[in-house]
Formats: sequence, C-alpha cells, structure tokens
Amino acid sequence: MKNTHSRFLIFSSIVVISLFGYVAIAATAEIELIIKDHLFFPAVLEIPAKQKVRIRIINQDPTPEEFESFELNREKIIVGNGQAVIFIGPLEPGRYPFFGEFNPKTAQGVVVVK
Amino acid sequence: MFLNAVIIIVQEILEAALLISVLLVFTYLFQKVWGKSFILKTSWVAYSIVLGVIGAALYSHYTGQVSQWFDYVGQEIVNASIHIISLFLILLLAFAVPPGNMSARLVERSRLTTICMIGIVLLAIIREGSEIMLYAGGVASQPENFTPVVFGAVIGGGIGVSAGVLLYYGLISLNAKWAFRVCLILLALISGNMGSQAVLLLTQADWLPFTPIAWNTSSILAEASIPGHLLYALIGYEATPSVLQVGFYLFGIVMIVLSPLFRKTWSSNHSLVTPV
Repeated sequence: MKNTHSRFLIFSSIVVISLFGYVAIAATAEIELIIKDHLFFPAVLEIPAKQKVRIRIINQDPTPEEFESFELNREKIIVGNGQAVIFIGPLEPGRYPFFGEFNPKTAQGVVVVK
Repeated sequence: MFLNAVIIIVQEILEAALLISVLLVFTYLFQKVWGKSFILKTSWVAYSIVLGVIGAALYSHYTGQVSQWFDYVGQEIVNASIHIISLFLILLLAFAVPPGNMSARLVERSRLTTICMIGIVLLAIIREGSEIMLYAGGVASQPENFTPVVFGAVIGGGIGVSAGVLLYYGLISLNAKWAFRVCLILLALISGNMGSQAVLLLTQADWLPFTPIAWNTSSILAEASIPGHLLYALIGYEATPSVLQVGFYLFGIVMIVLSPLFRKTWSSNHSLVTPV
C-alpha cells in the first residue's frame, strides 16, 4: 500500500515537473539584443503583451556595459565580448525604456509591449 | 562621463558605507554594554575590507565565466546567493545577542558576532566592489574617458565615504538608547532590502515565478531622480516592486523585530543601554 502511494507520488511529480518544463520551453520566446559601439541594436524591441520573454544580450564591444531599466526593474552587467540572458514580463502594453548605465548618452533603447 | 561616474560610484559605495557604519556603531554600543567580557574588537572592519577587496577583484575577474553558468544567468544566481547569505548573517547577529547583561557564553557569542560582522561587510564589498572594478576596468581601456572618470570616481568615492563617516559619528553622538534604536531600524531596512534584492535577481533569472507589481510610486518618487537613486542605494527603494519582493522585504523586517536584539533595544527597562 505504502509502495503504491510513493510510486504515485513519484509519477505525479515527474508529470508536474515535465509539464512545467514544457510550459517554460513552449512559452518563452527569445530575442537578441546586440551592443556595438555603445549602442543597442535593435534600439526598439517589440514584444507581445502578457508573455514572458527571454532577452539574450550580446556585447560585441570590448568594454563592459550594464543593461539597466527602471521601468522593467532590471539591471545586469554584460562583460566585454560576452553575453547574458535576462527574463522580462509578462508585461502590460506600453513603453519600457532601457539604457546602458556605463554609456548612458549613447546606449538607449525601449521595449515596446503590444 | 564625469557625472555618470560620480553617480555610479556614489551608489555602490553608499550601500557598503551605510552597512559598515551601522555595524561599527553596534560594535561601539556592544563594547559599552558588556565591556571587556564581550570580545568584539573594532579591527574586524579592517579584515573584512581587505578580504572584501580581494574577493571583489577575483569576482570581477571571473564575471565573464560566472555569467555563463546556469545558461547565462550565473551572475543573478551568485548575487542572489550573496544576498541570501548576508540576510542570514544579519539575522544570526540579531539573534546572537546575549539575553542578559551578565549572561553566560559571552565569549562564544562575541566570537559569533565578530564572524557575522566580517561576513556581512566582506560580502557587501565583494558585491559592490566588483561592479566598481568592472566599470573602472572598462573605462581604463577607453583613453578619452580616463580623466573625467577618475575625477568622478574620486569625488563619488569621497561623497560615499564621508556619508558613512558622518553617519557613524552622528549615531555615536546620540545617547546609547537612541543610537541603538536608529541602528536597529536601519538594520531592519537593510535586512528587508537583502531579501527583496534576492527575489528580484531570482525572478530576473526565471528561477522564481513572476508576481504582479505591488504598487507604482514612480509619479511620486522616480527611481531615476537623485533622491530615488539615494533611497535605492540606502534602503533598496523601488518604484514598482513585485508582490514577492514586498513579501521578502517584510520578512527581513519581521525577523529583526522578532530578534532578541530588538526586544532588548525596545524593552521598557532598556536592559541593553543601562549596564549593571
């Protein structure tokens, strides 16, 4: 009896975990953001509303940059010639500016949620 | 570039300076209450600064590798761990306070307190120092920015350190009862901030689920404004915190309120500040 019970527990955990895994893989779209010459490419990122998005930031400059956004509540250093991943959302429609804290005059961009 | 350097450096230094000042005031007050039987030498701060700077240099050197861990969210996981360990050490410190003025195990308790203080400051310097080093390292490779950034960094560093020194002398000039109370409020806010920051980083890494925004105070006090920056550095002010962040901020505060340090500081007979 006890054995059946624990088997059921193990089985249901596997189902739940794989469901979560499936949802995570299926739902999270990835977009690329490139930093070059202290500028963001593309400077406007369009993403759908109410969905989690994975942003892969690729820094092609030799110097580090800090991706920062007060509106998105995100902050992360990307080393020179390195890359990093940031998850954002699900977000309401609107404009969410971001900038490079180490070069704020040039490195400017915005996430547009539609 | 100059103003930007000032802002970046002030922000990073202030956070560590506040923490160091508060813990040094506690050191001063603990020595006052328990005297020589509570072995807590002010020199702990020197060890933690030296070790912290070494740690920060190592961490900034390996940030490139660390960021590739866990599918490119390594920094979030390491920084969140640093925040969680710091929170744990702050709570350990608040719970290690001797129950009475002539209590037993004072030596063990003072040793534990010293370890906690070294650990908390060491971790803060690793966290903030490595960001300063990464920033400075990047700038040093761009010759045209070198001079304004060096000046900015010196002024920013000066402002941050002066603020810490002012806070320390301001607090110890108060009477002990009020110094304890102000320090305790600051410690509770620092503790809440640690919890909230850990949650934010783990959400950014998708290790914690998304939770809705609890409130939006950006029209009252924008994070991008100077007071917003200052409050962010000091107590972790955010205009749009998530529900989970607010929950963990409250958890940090509540744990401090439940600690013996709080009970003794706020008890009506002021057992901490009127030694027998």
